[in-house]
Amino acid sequence: MTVAVGLHGVTKRFGDVAAVDSVDLEVADGEFFSLLGPSGCGKTTTLRMIAGLEFPTEGSIRIFGEEVALAPPNKRPVNTVFQSYALFPHMTVAENVGFGLAMCKVPDTELRRRVAEAIELVRLGGMEHRRPTQLSGGQQQRVALARALVNRPKVLLLDEPLGALDLKLRQAMQVELKDIQREVGITFVYVTHDQEEALTMSDRIGVMNEGRLLQVGTAEDIYERPANRFVADFIGETNFLEGVIVAEGHVEIGSSHRVRAQTNAPVGTAVTLMLRPEKIQIHRLEEVVDGRNRLEGTVQHRLYFGDSLFYQIELATGDMIDVRVENVPSLPRWDAGQRIAVSFHHDAADALTE
Amino acid sequence: MNVPTHAAASRTTDRALSVHGVAVFLFLYVPILLLVVFSFSGASNLSVWGGWSLRWYQKMFSNDPLLRSMRNSVVVAVVSTGISTVLGTAAALALERYRRWLGKRTFDALLYLPVIIPDVTMGVMLLMWFTTISWPLSLTTIILSHIAFNISFVAIVVRARLANLDPSLEEAAADLYADRWQAFRRVTLPLIMPGIVGGALLALTLSLDDVVITSLVQGPGSTTLPVFVFGLIKRQVTPEINAVSTVMLLASMVLVFGSLAFQRDTKAEPSPEAP
Amino acid sequence: MTTTEERPAPAAEPEFERRAERAKAVRGFLQALPSYAYLVFFFAIPLLIVFVFSFASRSRTGKPVLSDWNLDSYAKLLQPVVAEIAARSLWLALLNTVLCLAIGYPFAYWLATRRSARYRAVLLVLVLIPFWSNFLVRTYAWRVLLGEHGFVTELGRALGLWDKLLFTQPAVFIGLLYGYLPFMVLPLYAALERMDWSLVEAARDLYASGWTAFRKVTLPLSRPGVIAGSILVFIPSLGAYVTPDILGGAKTTLLGNYIVRQFTAARNWPFGAALSFVVLVAMLIATIIYFRTDARTI
Repeated sequence: MTVAVGLHGVTKRFGDVAAVDSVDLEVADGEFFSLLGPSGCGKTTTLRMIAGLEFPTEGSIRIFGEEVALAPPNKRPVNTVFQSYALFPHMTVAENVGFGLAMCKVPDTELRRRVAEAIELVRLGGMEHRRPTQLSGGQQQRVALARALVNRPKVLLLDEPLGALDLKLRQAMQVELKDIQREVGITFVYVTHDQEEALTMSDRIGVMNEGRLLQVGTAEDIYERPANRFVADFIGETNFLEGVIVAEGHVEIGSSHRVRAQTNAPVGTAVTLMLRPEKIQIHRLEEVVDGRNRLEGTVQHRLYFGDSLFYQIELATGDMIDVRVENVPSLPRWDAGQRIAVSFHHDAADALTE
Repeated sequence: MNVPTHAAASRTTDRALSVHGVAVFLFLYVPILLLVVFSFSGASNLSVWGGWSLRWYQKMFSNDPLLRSMRNSVVVAVVSTGISTVLGTAAALALERYRRWLGKRTFDALLYLPVIIPDVTMGVMLLMWFTTISWPLSLTTIILSHIAFNISFVAIVVRARLANLDPSLEEAAADLYADRWQAFRRVTLPLIMPGIVGGALLALTLSLDDVVITSLVQGPGSTTLPVFVFGLIKRQVTPEINAVSTVMLLASMVLVFGSLAFQRDTKAEPSPEAP
Repeated sequence: MTTTEERPAPAAEPEFERRAERAKAVRGFLQALPSYAYLVFFFAIPLLIVFVFSFASRSRTGKPVLSDWNLDSYAKLLQPVVAEIAARSLWLALLNTVLCLAIGYPFAYWLATRRSARYRAVLLVLVLIPFWSNFLVRTYAWRVLLGEHGFVTELGRALGLWDKLLFTQPAVFIGLLYGYLPFMVLPLYAALERMDWSLVEAARDLYASGWTAFRKVTLPLSRPGVIAGSILVFIPSLGAYVTPDILGGAKTTLLGNYIVRQFTAARNWPFGAALSFVVLVAMLIATIIYFRTDARTI
């Protein structure tokens, strides 16, 4: 694997606050990589350091092996799609797109050809002579993309590029961005706080919080096997049950309820059991459940979501859990106050130690 | 957008406001209009109307000391505006685009003082300073004094424009391989140009307006038009002064409409079309 | 791995970041330097000179003598004639500020509440013209109107209200009002124009009467305009020179004229310096208090 972007021990301090705290990360060539986290987690600062808009306090940033930590932005083979698009309001679409090439003194005929190609790539043909203010949000977004891609950067950096668009447009652009990335084959580093965006578009995702990179992996890795409670909580919805390891692979929750779980922590460790709502089934009390963990409880609330139903259940352990049931035909309905049993496979219950 | 609604005033209140508004406009305009009209009067004094005539304009344009003062005014205004526009713009950039530098807070305060200090105080202190360093009072001392108050006005106007400029535009330029100078030349400068022109027009106006400071720091033969006219007015009022005043008003008007036209030009962007 | 002898570019260390920050600070400083140096040389030092000279004694030509330091000039400030001029100036400046506000606020409100943006723009241009017009010329216009056979004088005689206004205090006052009213209107208009009128609607919806809504919502929101306009009117009114000189007489001397006279006819530079300095300090204090009060109430 060729490493497109390599960060090693990268730290950025603003005064006493570490916005980014010793991050190590390698992004592969051609990869669609997302940095995901809540606002203020350091993901944008990390991106800005790769772009050269911010210098790291410490650490090394390599782009295809070349150290660029201290290079100014105009000396780096990367381009950025800004969150606000940052289109030059006094230039036309074509002038915006051609700006980088003009700065690199690309000959006029080649410049015009490449600008035309880039505008075609983002399907804005015919808009060349418009000003950014005359374009819709989605069109401005495409200009920003073309303006960056036309320079054939080795890495394209995108800072929440879809944040300002409405839901429908955002979903359409997600697909389009992914297509464009496949077409040009450039490494994308994509910053977002929207987990759905990250999960659907990325080859791999890095989850950040409070300046630290908590977990790097595929969408499935991060959803199914979160490294810690923050990741589990931030991505998707999760039930957490506090417990203690009482035997190998066995956790005791409440005072006397024993379940099997995914763990190799030693006996006596306090753990948090993580259970996704869609991996839990509800049964009548008398139903026999084989090979799965079984707990009893009472239905508190039922919420109707159209494609699914949500049940809030108070377990006999005293914990409250959410259960999601897909809305399929002939589904039994459970009513508030009804005593029921829930079950889950031990593979679905991850015991987290932090 | 931000359209005032009917909640702003009841109908009766609104009618009262309109009457008041028209009265204020009359108060502001009638004196000026009368002054302009009487500059075309053929009579030798201002108490009677002497029929339409251009004789006072003819007299004005053969009045050599007056023409000399007019030339002085133009030189002072143009030179002081040119220098203070460059210095003031650089100062605005330093304050708005650089987070910390030696003496920034002091400079920030120093820059605002010439704006709030009364003309008389400013004139007096410059007079004392030029005398102390034995700099002979002349056209140069007038220009130096005008630059001293104009830098601040230019800097404030340009700074306001810079503060509204999205800093990510300059970052985008750098990201697109522009070096520092190219980013300034191709992105920052064109975008703050309306502020720079606005500041320069303000400087021109203030320079052409000033009586107090100029009259304190002027030397022999370096009188500017307003100071010269001020001297005339104190002696007696004549239709010739009306003629000069009309020319001065015309110059102000050109500056107002020049600045408005320029602002409209930079703002004129067709409304967004539906995609 | 490559085995070239070439030294790789260094990774970041805290020292590099500090150096970059320092380089940036130097660039900012250098950009400000020409105007910084200019303002120090042609503003800050002259300001200091005023202070120093106020302690000097005067030579026969009125210029300061830089050896015999004393407080005579400050003692002279306590003379009744000075107090009288100062009181008159202060009174006129305050009265002018209050009246400009009383006339200018409803006027700016009327301008800002016109529904059609085009109409508003036209009215704004009509306000801008007197604002940018030559101050001396605008004062001269009143010199004619208030003159022996001027319209206003004739009008007063016909109505039996006044016989002569020129060279009296009311004439100076009219001149100041006329001269500085646009300085009040523009900041007020700017504040009212960018106001969110839906806030007033919200107040009305919450059972406020029109007047209460104005008092509780519009007025506080336009406060920055009131502050800016008041300062723009008060300070030049207090230091007024042209208006009292053209429209006023011997009995209407204001601080501005009195100061300038020390450098011309009266030939007493140290006293002029002391006066200027005290006026400047008083004005700065007034401005600061005004801003402070505002910061507390918002």
